[in-house]
Amino acid sequence: MLPASLDEAVRAMAESPGAVPVAGGTDLMGAVNAGLLRPMALLGLGRVTELRGWQYQDGAALLGAGLTHSRMARPDFAALIPALAEAAATVGPPQVRNVGTLGGNIVSAHPSGDTLPVLAALEATVTLVGADGAREVAVSHLLTGLDPLRSGELLAFVRVPLLHAPQVFLKSGGRTGPARAVASVSLVLDPARRAVRCAVGAVAPVPLRPLEAEQWVAGCIDWDGERTVDPGVAQAFGEYVASACVPDTGSESPVPTTARLRRTVSVLARRALGRALK
Amino acid sequence: MSTPSSPSDAAGATGAAGGNGETTLTNLATVREGAPGSATGAALGGLLTASASPPSSAATPVTDIDDAIRAQRVGIGVSALREDGVAKAMGVYPYAADLWAEGLLWGALARSPFAHARMVSIDTRPALAMPGVYAVLTADDLPPGPDGLPNGAPTGPYVADRPILAAEVVRHHGEPFAAVAADHPDTARLAAASILVEWEPLAALTDPDQAFHAPPLHPDGNLFRQLPLRFGDPEVVGEVVVEGMYQVGRQDPAPIGAEAGLAVPRPDGGVELHVATTDPHGDRDRIALCLGIEPDRVRLVVSGIPGATADRDDLGFQATLALLAARTGHPVKMVLTREESFLSHPHRHPALLRYRHHADAEGRLVKVEAQILLDGGAYADVSSEVLASAAALAAGPYVVPHVFVDAWAVRTNNPPSGRMRGEGALQSCFAYESQLDRLAAALDLSPLEIRRRNIMATGDLLPTGQAVTCPAPVRELLDAVADEPLPPLPVDRPDAEWLLPEGPAGAGDPAAVRRGIGYAIGMVPMLGIEGEDEVATASVRVTGSQASVICAAVDPGSGFATLAKQIVQEILGVEDVYIAPVDTDQPAAGPSARGRQTWVAGGAIERAALMVRQQLLQPLAARFAMSPELLSIKDGRITSYDGVLGVPVVEALEGKDLWATAQCRPHPTEPLDPETGQGDAFVGLGFCAMRAVVDVDIDLGTVRVVEVTAAQDVGRALNPRQIEARIEAGVTQGLGLALMEDLAVGEGRVLAPSLVGYRLPTALDAPDIRVAAMIEDRDVVAPFGAKAVGAAPAVVAPAAIAAAVRAATGMPITRLPIQPEDASV
Ligand SMILES: Cc1cc2nc3c(=O)[nH]c(=O)nc-3n(C[C@H](O)[C@H](O)[C@H](O)COP(=O)(O)OP(=O)(O)OC[C@H]3O[C@@H](n4cnc5c(N)ncnc54)[C@H](O)[C@@H]3O)c2cc1C
Repeated sequence: MLPASLDEAVRAMAESPGAVPVAGGTDLMGAVNAGLLRPMALLGLGRVTELRGWQYQDGAALLGAGLTHSRMARPDFAALIPALAEAAATVGPPQVRNVGTLGGNIVSAHPSGDTLPVLAALEATVTLVGADGAREVAVSHLLTGLDPLRSGELLAFVRVPLLHAPQVFLKSGGRTGPARAVASVSLVLDPARRAVRCAVGAVAPVPLRPLEAEQWVAGCIDWDGERTVDPGVAQAFGEYVASACVPDTGSESPVPTTARLRRTVSVLARRALGRALK
Repeated sequence: MSTPSSPSDAAGATGAAGGNGETTLTNLATVREGAPGSATGAALGGLLTASASPPSSAATPVTDIDDAIRAQRVGIGVSALREDGVAKAMGVYPYAADLWAEGLLWGALARSPFAHARMVSIDTRPALAMPGVYAVLTADDLPPGPDGLPNGAPTGPYVADRPILAAEVVRHHGEPFAAVAADHPDTARLAAASILVEWEPLAALTDPDQAFHAPPLHPDGNLFRQLPLRFGDPEVVGEVVVEGMYQVGRQDPAPIGAEAGLAVPRPDGGVELHVATTDPHGDRDRIALCLGIEPDRVRLVVSGIPGATADRDDLGFQATLALLAARTGHPVKMVLTREESFLSHPHRHPALLRYRHHADAEGRLVKVEAQILLDGGAYADVSSEVLASAAALAAGPYVVPHVFVDAWAVRTNNPPSGRMRGEGALQSCFAYESQLDRLAAALDLSPLEIRRRNIMATGDLLPTGQAVTCPAPVRELLDAVADEPLPPLPVDRPDAEWLLPEGPAGAGDPAAVRRGIGYAIGMVPMLGIEGEDEVATASVRVTGSQASVICAAVDPGSGFATLAKQIVQEILGVEDVYIAPVDTDQPAAGPSARGRQTWVAGGAIERAALMVRQQLLQPLAARFAMSPELLSIKDGRITSYDGVLGVPVVEALEGKDLWATAQCRPHPTEPLDPETGQGDAFVGLGFCAMRAVVDVDIDLGTVRVVEVTAAQDVGRALNPRQIEARIEAGVTQGLGLALMEDLAVGEGRVLAPSLVGYRLPTALDAPDIRVAAMIEDRDVVAPFGAKAVGAAPAVVAPAAIAAAVRAATGMPITRLPIQPEDASV
């Protein structure tokens, strides 16, 4: 099935309950080909053009779920939501970025999904559309399963506030070539609310927010002046974030070990703060 | 490309292209009947239409690539292209997984979910009851053991201890215990999964250190081999002593294509197998033994091989495939998944090495003491041979008067270990080169200087008492890499984008990056060792203007077929050389392993070609009234020594049909003494030196290899471009082991048997690779003086990269792959 509009797609989903939507297919088709998944039908979203761009609404950007990572990595998008563009630029190899989508990344909800910590830090919401209409859900609620995608629903849009301030995404994959994140950190500044928001990806099933560390570091920043902090603060912030987000699992934890993961998260958070306040 | 094109298709494509004067590359890729894509035969090379049908090539406009080949001289020393290179690059080369036969069934294997367990009972009825299932086999269907009970028809290269299908006990995760044939691949897999087994899980032995005292996992015990090596005086001590413990992880050969094959039953009760084997005759004999039939009723046809840096298929796969075809009377095809491939084929031996180096105050080595423990996995495979290489080369290419080594290879419930590029030599190289760095630091010498003070040359003794009689230009190799200019620092090239250790758009921070430079040298044995009977047979035939070579030496991508062609061109002056596809009806040429084919099979081809040359020159010599030795063949002409008389080769060959068959058997070797490890065990050695330059993000511990410069002892460069390709391949594989490749195992179970879980280097991870020198110091006992080139770069690269990371971070770096915590400061 290849609907040409969102309405058509939603109707098709309602009419064939067993159908599974497929966007770029980079997550889904692997599972299908490996025989792990045998969907009754596939609903291709590739022709739903309204999901492939973005628009502005009340100081926020409304991003179509069908935006590809390649598209988000381009300079015009990067000027809008820099952290999301940085995350998109690090997803897999170019072949995957060219077809893999924002919506697929969110719905797959893989712990190492690169857009997820950015959306968590931006406190983004998603628009889910079903036969009974549309509803708005916080990304974090969707990811934690507090408010999951219901059957027959499609993820149509992602609403991201435009903050007009530095924001960063840093990912460590442990090598030069494309890799899944061992850990990632997204950090955004929200000068209007004098807030720093940070989320750590890949260390837990969902992105984690070190709320206390955020508040503490926001208090260290001179918001009306240079907006800098001294290196000691950045270092302490890194360690604060790491200890909040990487729980002690004891000595018998599998690779990567707790100590190493903490160190990585701490370095990423420190560097992220440094880059945002540069 | 799953169906073969008919010959008329091929002709059509060629004709059409010739007709409009426009040749697209697509017609090059047409598969002939009898090519690997069809079940009617198999070809290794000869895929390009032009070479397959020489007469039509005149009518076909040549492509750029053909032009390039023609423009060059032919013969030895030329960088000829692979015949199948274009088809492979374009993705249309038919591999074993593309085979097809009318009415074929699909095979699947049921595998153990446990690393160690007893099968209390097996119930195959649910599988047999499934519609579309033709056969379900277990160990009960294989010839029984000596006591009349099923034992799974064990097999192996030296020791027959690995059952084709496990009987009673499974000893590693993924060991097959049943095989199914069905009319659809999904049905076969579902049927295999439906077999009911009552398992009694047993404690898994996963720590090789425990193998000595643990209850035996197999009637043969847990010790595959113990090899002591005693050379010199054990009481000697040096003024400076450094100690270290080193660890090498489990590298997977990760061939591009997983195991696949097709078996076709024969009317005589035998079976014909189309498989991607690298040892057709050896496999044929072992399969026949497992099946309980004569070797002559098993025929192996070598199909397109998707990469082999190790032994390709495990025999269990081939033998069960053959058995399924024999039982069902149908052709049976089996294609393993990547997961199965990770579970079943042999890996590099994980190793634990404990070293103590003694030196005098000037840094001259006095004594090396080493203990080496190899994890052989559940079955013997080639562990004893790997152990011998590791122990005999334990001191490296250095002059050491006193060497004492104790080495063991043991059985565990970990994934199987076996042959893989530079086996044994690699593990030791990482350890002895790390020790040399340690010694340099202790003595405050540079890593280059400590090596120069101890480096080996021709005539020196190995710790096995064998003198190195082949060229050993190790000093020249080291000097060559040391003399090369270093890559520019990023600060010197502000305009160029700096690729940081975490990759483009990654978290790398220039301020945290340290650059390091490391050196390593190493050596590998060539050919079989310790008395292995090395022999190959080849036939060369010339009819008219075309020569053909029949030699059962498999080219798994190493480039041997190209060399074979160059050898014949060189000796006979014939340009058009056809390399026949390999099957077991031809005389044996032995396995494509241990860098032996260029020497052994290449030597046989050389001899056969020389015999043909003699037949060609003799009548001419008579006509010119001079002895044949006074005639030479060059640039397609036969000329007398004084240049006065001459005739084109093509003319001399007109109407002739000459052929000869010859054998090559290099000089024999002897086993190492079981008490002292002494003996002339090696036919020859190859050396390599490397310099690695790395950038390390010392906060994150992430390493990027910027550049690797190599210098290699090649004896003679038969095909320089091919050697460069081997060096690039070896360096990249070595980099994988050094930085990322390690098959994670927990309690003996493979945790992530996929290419997501097992990371291979990508193009971004691969460094700039430069060849500083190919030193051509001919080895007089080797055909053309050429040495094997494939293994040495893979052996030395990990050690060089580790040395560079050591230099960048000041950390000891004692394990491979290097973990981020080892490289962060
Ligand atoms: C080699 C490789 C490397 C990768 N590397 C990374 C990486 O580094 N970082 C990373 O984050 N990811 C990575 N991925 C995963 C993947 O590419 C991304 O998660 C991608 O964003 C998925 O998008 P897609 O459009 O391909 O999703 P699909 O595979 O099409 O769909 C994924 C899931 O989402 C559902 N879905 C898709 N769109 C919608 C919608 N609009 N409404 C409702 N449900 C929907 C599908 O039904 C399916 O369940 C990698 C994948 C591969 C194959």
